[in-house]
Amino acid sequence: MARHLVGRRKLLTAGLGGLALASAGFPAFAPARAEDKRLRMFWWGAKDRADRTFKVNALYAAHNPGVTIDGETLGWGDYWPRLATQTAGRNAPDILQMDYRYIFEYARRGALLPLDEYMPSLLNIADFGKDAIDSGRVDGKVYGVSLGLNSTALLYSKTAFEAAGLKPPTVETSWADYAALFAELTKATKKEGFWGSADGGGSETALEVWLRQHGKALYDKDGKLGFGAAEAAEWLALWDDMRKRKACVPADVQALDRGSYDSSMIALGKAATAFEHSNLLVTFQTLTKDKLAMTMYPQGGSGAKPGQYLKPSQMLSVYARTKFAPEAARIVNFFVEDPEAAKILSVERGVPASAMMRKLITPELNELDQQSIVYISMVSERVGPLPAPPPNGAGEIQRTLRRVNEEVGFARQTPSAAGKQFVDEAKSILERG
Amino acid sequence: MDSIGAVAERRPLLRHRLSQAARSDRRAYLFLLPWFAGFFGLTAGPTLASLYLSFTNFDLVQSPRWIGAANYIRIATSDVNFGAAMKVTFLYVALAVPLKLAFALAVAMALNKGIKGLPLYRAIFYLPSLLGASVAIAVLWRTLFSGDGLVNKVLALVGIHGPSWISDPDYAIYTLVLLSIWQFGSPMIIFLAGLRQIPRDVYEAASLEGASRWRQFRRITLPLLTPVVFFNAIVQTIDAFKAFTPAFIISEGTGGPVRATLFYTLYLYLEAFAYFRMGYAAALAWILVIIIALFTAFSFLTARYWVHYDE
Repeated sequence: MARHLVGRRKLLTAGLGGLALASAGFPAFAPARAEDKRLRMFWWGAKDRADRTFKVNALYAAHNPGVTIDGETLGWGDYWPRLATQTAGRNAPDILQMDYRYIFEYARRGALLPLDEYMPSLLNIADFGKDAIDSGRVDGKVYGVSLGLNSTALLYSKTAFEAAGLKPPTVETSWADYAALFAELTKATKKEGFWGSADGGGSETALEVWLRQHGKALYDKDGKLGFGAAEAAEWLALWDDMRKRKACVPADVQALDRGSYDSSMIALGKAATAFEHSNLLVTFQTLTKDKLAMTMYPQGGSGAKPGQYLKPSQMLSVYARTKFAPEAARIVNFFVEDPEAAKILSVERGVPASAMMRKLITPELNELDQQSIVYISMVSERVGPLPAPPPNGAGEIQRTLRRVNEEVGFARQTPSAAGKQFVDEAKSILERG
Repeated sequence: MDSIGAVAERRPLLRHRLSQAARSDRRAYLFLLPWFAGFFGLTAGPTLASLYLSFTNFDLVQSPRWIGAANYIRIATSDVNFGAAMKVTFLYVALAVPLKLAFALAVAMALNKGIKGLPLYRAIFYLPSLLGASVAIAVLWRTLFSGDGLVNKVLALVGIHGPSWISDPDYAIYTLVLLSIWQFGSPMIIFLAGLRQIPRDVYEAASLEGASRWRQFRRITLPLLTPVVFFNAIVQTIDAFKAFTPAFIISEGTGGPVRATLFYTLYLYLEAFAYFRMGYAAALAWILVIIIALFTAFSFLTARYWVHYDE
């Protein structure tokens, strides 16, 4: 009896499913007129970025009748699988936002269009300066155009420091000072469930800056691991010590941070800092009522090398198989060299690489945005050279760092054992590619 | 239907009937064409392609490169994440399936008492299953089970200082088991339908004989319900092995803290879409297929010892 009942039910579900599939039909495509150019653009980022980008696209379309730019946007985590899938299906968007992390991979696999032949006729970025243009160069050709300069930055809550009556960190603050200062902030704040600092032990950028200060690197120029078990252990111990001194959040609180901006410690009100990039000050300010400011990551102390570097926050690249290559180049130019577009985009993607645009927008910026410009010009005197882009497997190593830092935080491993394990795993990931 | 003998006596008619049958079969296949197209194009084709890809190195951009059984060998010999993911998944299946079934059966029995407004209750109890694993659920679960969450506030009233359930590697998996139990709607509906098929008079006779409620449950309800239990157990086990969204949504795809919620499917997803190792991910998928097939086969083999189909 019951058997029949189940059988029929299953059959019914299957039937209904099939019916739904069959009746779904196909979306109607509007036939395009011959002179119409419809380009697709794809970028990652938060809502604010989407609003600005759509506005610039609409502005371009208004100036160029017959051209439409269809924008698509996703968060960082979903962006790369989508782009990879579309590239595999030979259906990538005409214009795409590229990251320094991936540009070598995409360019060398022939997915991106070299833009040199349109320079300077359609794409005139001479006022970027050599460094900024070269940051988009792969094997001598330009594949990416910088949308802005940024550097790593320690975002912190000014409000928390004012309330505690403490002086916020500066560009002179060393790692040792940092631990002491934030232990004090935790104590002075007297708020249940609040600690001075977020746990930066699992942050790839923080580790990289610290390594460079010690004369090492995350990856060397051949894409090999640029440090050993001893350094990894020292780094993990540094943060374990901060957890024990209550300078930073405990492991089970840091684990609430899932990698999205709105689950960061500063957005959750659990801590007063975030190890981020300078262009994200604007985004993070929308996530908290506290007044935010930024300074450099802690320093290596006297005699240390500079840890930070300037890098393109994002780039615009053109898909190698686009049908509208010249138009795409013109649009890229519009994004980085048009005064109206520059005013809309402001410094949300970082400080414009174009000296002309930077000069043009600076007087009109609000206080928050001004900070980005001030920060970048201040940092540019304290940075080291741009390292080579990270090798294949770097994304997995980034996640592994997060995990081993958690293992130390939850007292499953000592810092030295975890440091050795991290280096072993990282090496085998790099071997695998 | 005619018996074979009766048909054999009328041979000419048989031929006629056969051709008619063949014609109507052809018509049936014609109508099934969209389904066949879907099955071969969208299910069988990709399945075979994934079998091929599992023997290759494929990063989505460059074309796949044949590497023999290397992916499988690595899974079997040197993949630490594979072991961790297996442990998490088996623990989840072992806990979530029996607990969810027991809970669903208990609710179904409570609803089967002839209470008024049954359709309403049924709908309400089904609601959590409809919510699935959405971002809203992730937020709700974090609000409930984080260190300063609702659960700990209630526990504090009785003097217990609870951990941050959802972000502590010792407990995170149990919050996901709980989420699975909470979404007990579909087995509950099926149990309810099964319970209603059991004739009332059997219970009446048993009560007259002086059988206790528990005895009635053990001797009447459970045996007569075994086909439904069997069906639910298989479907839920397969579902639990394939569980992806709860862990993905709640850990935002990290599988953390540490590797506490690294479900097998989540690990597979990371290999495929975070690290772009499509070939390796395809091999992982085939291992999962084999595991599920083995489990299902095992269930069917043991079924004759405990599932009662007698009318």
